[in-house]
Order: sequence, then C-alpha cells, then structure tokens
Amino acid sequence: MPGAKFDIAYVFDYFPKLLSTLGLTLTIVGWSILLGLGFGFLVALPRLYKVPILQRVSQVYVSFFRGTPILIQLFLIYYGLPELLKLVHADVTRTPVLVFVVLTYSLHAGAYLSEMIRAGVTAVDRGQVEAAYSVGMSGFQAFVRIVLPQAFAISLPVFANLVIATLKDTSLAFSLGVMEMTGKAQTLITLSQHFVETYIALAVIYFVISFALEKVFLLLERRLLKHDRRETDSGKRFGWRRAPSLRGLLAKTARAQEGRSRA
Amino acid sequence: MKLDPAFIWTAFVQLLSVIPTTLLITAVSVLGGFLIGTGIALLRLYRVPVLSQIAAGYVTFIRGTPMITHLLLIYFGLPAIVDAVSESLGSSFRSVSIPYLAFALIAFTITASAYMSEVVRSGLLAVNRGQLEAAYSIGMTTPQALRRIVFPQALAASLPNLSNSLIGMLHGSTLAFTVSVVEIMAKAQIVASTNWKFFEAYLAAALIFWGLTVLIEQLASRIERRINVYNRGGVA
Repeated sequence: MPGAKFDIAYVFDYFPKLLSTLGLTLTIVGWSILLGLGFGFLVALPRLYKVPILQRVSQVYVSFFRGTPILIQLFLIYYGLPELLKLVHADVTRTPVLVFVVLTYSLHAGAYLSEMIRAGVTAVDRGQVEAAYSVGMSGFQAFVRIVLPQAFAISLPVFANLVIATLKDTSLAFSLGVMEMTGKAQTLITLSQHFVETYIALAVIYFVISFALEKVFLLLERRLLKHDRRETDSGKRFGWRRAPSLRGLLAKTARAQEGRSRA
Repeated sequence: MKLDPAFIWTAFVQLLSVIPTTLLITAVSVLGGFLIGTGIALLRLYRVPVLSQIAAGYVTFIRGTPMITHLLLIYFGLPAIVDAVSESLGSSFRSVSIPYLAFALIAFTITASAYMSEVVRSGLLAVNRGQLEAAYSIGMTTPQALRRIVFPQALAASLPNLSNSLIGMLHGSTLAFTVSVVEIMAKAQIVASTNWKFFEAYLAAALIFWGLTVLIEQLASRIERRINVYNRGGVA
C-alpha cells in the first residue's frame, strides 16, 4: 500500500486545511458561471433569432465544447491561446494560470448554458410574447420582461445541475497547477503521504457543498414557480395532471401482496 | 513556436492506436454502471426497506463528488483493503499485481452506476402505469411484465439520457491518465513530450473526442428513431 498507515484523525485534521482553499474553488465556479452566462447568451441569440452565418458558428462552438472533454479543453486553451495572441502581438506569458482556467470553464459552461437558454426560451408559451406585443411592448421589452423571467424559472433545474457540474469540474484545475481544493489536497499528500484520508476529506467537502447548492436551488425553484403551482393546485388549468406513475403502482402492488401474505 | 499542422497529423495517427483503451474504459464503465444502476433503481422504485435508503445515499454521495475523487480514492484505498483481505485469507495475492487499468475501470463503474441508476429510474417512471396494469390483466407475472412490457418502453424513453451518460463517461475516461493508464489524453502528453508541441497533440486529441462524440450522437438518434417506431402514427 502506498503512503502511510490509515489514521482517521488526519481526515479531521485536513478539513480546515482544505477549506482554506475553498474560496478559490468557489471563485472559479462563480466567475465561470457569470462569464459563461455571457457567452451563453451571445451564442444562444443567433440561434434563437436564426441569424444566417452566426447561427452556424454558434452551432459549431456548442458542438465542440460539448463534444470534447473539459480536461483537453483546459490544456488546449492553456497552450494554444498564448500562441494565438502572439499573432496579434499580445504577450500573455505573465498572465496567471487562473485566467486561462476561468476562461476555459466559462467557455465550457457557456456551451451548455446556451443550450439551456435556448430550451428555456423556446419552452415559454408563444402566446406570452403575443400578449406582450398586444399591450404595446417592444420586442426587447417583451423579451426582457416577459420571456426571460419565465425562461429562467423553467430552466432553473438545468442551471442548478450545471453549477454543480462546474463545481465538480474545477477539481481538474489542479492539472494546470492551480491551488484549488484538489491541488491543495495533492500538496498535503506529498507532505504526509496520507492519500486516502486526504481524499476522503476532499470528497466530503465537495459533497457538502453540492448538497447545499442543490437545496438552495430547490428552494429558489419553489419560490420562482409559485405562480404556476397555485394555479394547478386549484385545478384551473386543463389537462395538466401528473402522469400516472409506475412507482405508485409498484408500491401499491407491493403493499397489496404484503397484505395478502399477512392474511 | 508556430503551429505545426504536420505534427497534428502525426499525433493524430499515433493517438489512433490508443482509442481502444479509451473505448474499453467507456464501455466497461457504462455497461457495468448500467447493470448496477438498474439494480439500484429497482431497489428504490420498490422501496425495499433499508436497502433503498442506502441506495439513495450512495447515489447522492457519488453524484455530489467529482469523478476524480472516486478514482483517486479507489486507487489509493482499494490496495490496502485487498492486501488486508488476502493476508487474512492466507493468500499470496498482493495488490501490486493489479493492473492500473483495473482501478480506473472499478472507479468509473462506481461513478457510472450512480448516474445510470437515475437514468434508469426516470425511464421506468416515464412508462405509463396503465401498461403494467394491462400486462397484469392478461395474466403476466411481475418479472414478465417488467421484462416484456416495461423495460423496452423505459429503454426507449431513457435513450437520450443514456447517450448523454455514455458521452459523459467517454469524456470522463480522460481522467484515467492520473493513475498512469495510457488512454488518449495520456498518449497526447507522451507524444508531445518528445518535441514540446503540446498544443498540436491536444488539438489532435480534441478532434478524436469530437469525432467520437458526434458519432455517438448520430448513432443514438438513429437508434432512437428505430426504437420509437411503435409510437408512430395512430391517434395519440
């Protein structure tokens, strides 16, 4: 077995040490999502409004960033972008690695976010836009005031998944030498050789954060869909009933069989 | 340093030789994950006491932690367990003789099983319960009804999710380079280490992954069309 003997005390010992780099991990996540939303909008709009050539470009962008592993994208941009910028005589050799990392994650997230935005906007009922026009809103007003809030509520679950996925993806930034949580874990290990304890502590921290994020987004979703639920609760909407589920039936037959065997 | 298109081609050709390793990791983890995931999904759907809670906790934990932590935990933790067990059994087997690839396969199967169980669960839940009732009404037993009626429809419903998981695991297989498995990512580093042309090598690797992904997407949409044939036409 490589490394030192297992000692559970190290797990607790390493929690605060790993948590000290949590800020950097969350910074990467925050900036990536923020910039990714920008990229996402830029890429989604040509496809939503069917702009001739740009539509094609954004299709290729999305296909590439969803079709290659994030790890390869990290290295590609880290090695490739400086060369590309050299052509326009911009020197980026002194730029911190973190910039490349954030850029990669935001381009990666941007591809997924653009698909999310596209799906969310298309999911908003067409009548909503027509109604907005009928009360005299301009195209921009209708989009910002009517479509976007609804699209946001619809796509919140996807957004939550994406944020959590980005959080977990940041664990790869250590491969470029960024000192986020996984990088910190690697250095702790080189010092002490306590592999398993460190990774357990690391996994627990990631788990707690993603679990907390999930709960927060669930609360937010409930809040945002309040208007929708009230309507369905009172049964005003026609034909929107929960599809009969297999789970319910399975549970019921299981209960019935149980009752039979007892009798 | 200028971009060297010739080296992209050289790297591309050399990377082709390790595609089988990447595909093996992907296939084993997805198939293994699918089998274990189906078991987990059934445990949760039938609400088996204790086991279903354990299954739910397992799925939440695995999905809440990065794939690389699973890999590293297995890689560093499993040998100790294997050695302890084989020692207590008096066997001469030691963890040193386990190939690196095995650790990657085990770890990725664990990762995939959690994601797959959710795919399978959602697929099964998407099947109309009337289908099961109809199967019961013509005298099928539960295993028969599940196998002949529910599973085929659930498979059709979860095909898009399945192909997404497959692509996710394909991309995840790049992590195997951290435990010294030579797949596409590691090979790209090896190829580039001779002449420092990392960008060209990674570009070639990216092209291969892109191609594989597009291929999987195309195949999935073909199969989806084929598998949903029964759903075509009619009044519904």
